[in-house]
Amino acid sequence: MWHGPLEKITDYKFRIPKSYQPGMRVDGIIYADEKLLQGIKKDKAPQQVANVAFLPGIVNNSFAMPDIHWGYGFPIGGVAATDPDNGGVISPGGVGFDINCGIRLVKTNLEEKDVKDRVTNLINSLYQKIPSGVGSKGELRISKEEEKRLLVNGAGWAVRKGLGVDADLEFCAEGGAIDGADPDSVSDRAYERGKHQAGTLGSGNHFVEVQVIENIFDREAAEKLGLFIGQITVMIHTGSRGFGYQVCDDYVRIMVQCLSKYGINLPDRQLACAPINSPEAKRYIGAMRAAANYAWANRQVLTHRVRESFERVFDKSWQTLGMDLIYDVAHNIAKFEKHVVNGKEKMLCIHRKGATRAFGPGHPDLPLKYQEIGQPVIIPGDMGTASYLLLGTEQAKETFYSTCHGAGRVKSRHEALRTVNLETLITELNNKGIQVRATGKKTIVEEAPSAYKNIDDVVDVVHKAGLSKKVCRIRPLCVLKG
Amino acid sequence: MGLLWFFRMKEYEFIEHTADIGIRVYGKSLEDLFKNAANALFDIILDYPSKQLKQKQITLGADTVEDLFVIWLNELISCFFADKFLPADYSIKIEDSSQRKQLRASLCGQDFDPYENKINTEVKAATYHNVKIEKSEKGYKVEVIFDV
Repeated sequence: MWHGPLEKITDYKFRIPKSYQPGMRVDGIIYADEKLLQGIKKDKAPQQVANVAFLPGIVNNSFAMPDIHWGYGFPIGGVAATDPDNGGVISPGGVGFDINCGIRLVKTNLEEKDVKDRVTNLINSLYQKIPSGVGSKGELRISKEEEKRLLVNGAGWAVRKGLGVDADLEFCAEGGAIDGADPDSVSDRAYERGKHQAGTLGSGNHFVEVQVIENIFDREAAEKLGLFIGQITVMIHTGSRGFGYQVCDDYVRIMVQCLSKYGINLPDRQLACAPINSPEAKRYIGAMRAAANYAWANRQVLTHRVRESFERVFDKSWQTLGMDLIYDVAHNIAKFEKHVVNGKEKMLCIHRKGATRAFGPGHPDLPLKYQEIGQPVIIPGDMGTASYLLLGTEQAKETFYSTCHGAGRVKSRHEALRTVNLETLITELNNKGIQVRATGKKTIVEEAPSAYKNIDDVVDVVHKAGLSKKVCRIRPLCVLKG
Repeated sequence: MGLLWFFRMKEYEFIEHTADIGIRVYGKSLEDLFKNAANALFDIILDYPSKQLKQKQITLGADTVEDLFVIWLNELISCFFADKFLPADYSIKIEDSSQRKQLRASLCGQDFDPYENKINTEVKAATYHNVKIEKSEKGYKVEVIFDV
């Protein structure tokens, strides 16, 4: 239970002053409303917001989004920028084990009436085509040399293998691969784990979901995105699998040694970090980028499998079905971005751990098509409620253009397994018109809607706080989980 | 037999944690603690009684015993998911009197492919959160959270 200060700045912004704890270099800022705050105070996440404020070189504030919950070092929903020119550090805990866990939204030109009688066929086809589940193994057979190419080219690697088109790269953040990936900074163990899992969904909160747009809040933006009410869309949520976990573990081990080497004092060892300009940090950055590219390749392969499933069920090419990528964005990553600080443009390291980048209109890194409207922000909810598409805003510059990433857990997996009955849950979902398939029945229970915060509340806060604005609300039809 | 069971020290138990899996581990000695934590880890990952068919040597070092504990568990996770080795038993020696703590272990187990066989949980890593090894007259105790 949090008993520390939470000073109200606005209805949607609360401050933990740096005077709360000696060692805090900046204030903590939590974006939430009074309702969400009651839940937030129940776990130790605000303490983690305060802990992140200890990081050397941190700029402006330690931020947390309204889906904040307890994590490792950083809270989930944590954002922190550090300045390499001011002793700024990079922390693998600020990226997470699942490096570039992220999400993509694919549209179709189908309407709900077109799929109503084929939902079961669709979910069965997805289940057959997409390797999923705990320890799932992919169908791709890649050598280490091939894996190195994948780590540099990311989604582009998959496109060159015929598993996508160039337009998929245009609408993926970083063009589907971040520059500066260093395959030589990756351990043999990470290669070994990555070899088996390229093109797999994984388990836990990863999913492929077929959905229907049920509300539109911004008609003009929806039109520009080619979206309409009743339209069928697909979301794919997964990350870098065992490859990313191994990279994170390899470098947290190294960074824990760096704390004494560089004289860094932190209240939590899981915040282990190194100065960005140190050799250890440079190697981590190279390996982290490689893992990020692995995840983009993974989501591209899964997109291809989703398109194949639709082709099989509807007996039409995916191009005829209009299955174009709207956007793909990471929510566990550290990026080097230019931001204006005290009137001066600086290159900063932005950690977003369970938080999504949300560039506003006019940002040079956006595809031409989105220059006028801003960056699509895809926010998955739980499988029984809804997901959202939003757009980044200029006002989000106060959080270095960052916003929430999902609903945020409120119940432990253990508690979910104890309190949720599988049959009852499936019946409830079916009554809402939602079918779910999973390799592991345990996963379905662990991912029950009651284990998560209310996504509408979370999205309302970022919308009202001006960090991103709602475009549409999207409800699930069928969900593939691991 | 019943009385023996009653007096046998509990090896570990689960503790509540949002999002992931936490355990509290007990041990008569440090080595026992490390061994019981390893057993708990593999109980979480899969239901499969490993056989003692081959050996694997591990040497690890860290600045604190707690760091050593976390690195030990993460090394076992890497052994399983990268090296595809499933331990059945452990012979552990911990040197904690000097500044740098050392662990030398001989793992007895078998080759096991986690991508071809059924496993229950793909544990990502053991975390450093609140890891504090406590010693009392009853023995050693520690809590650790696994990111799953």
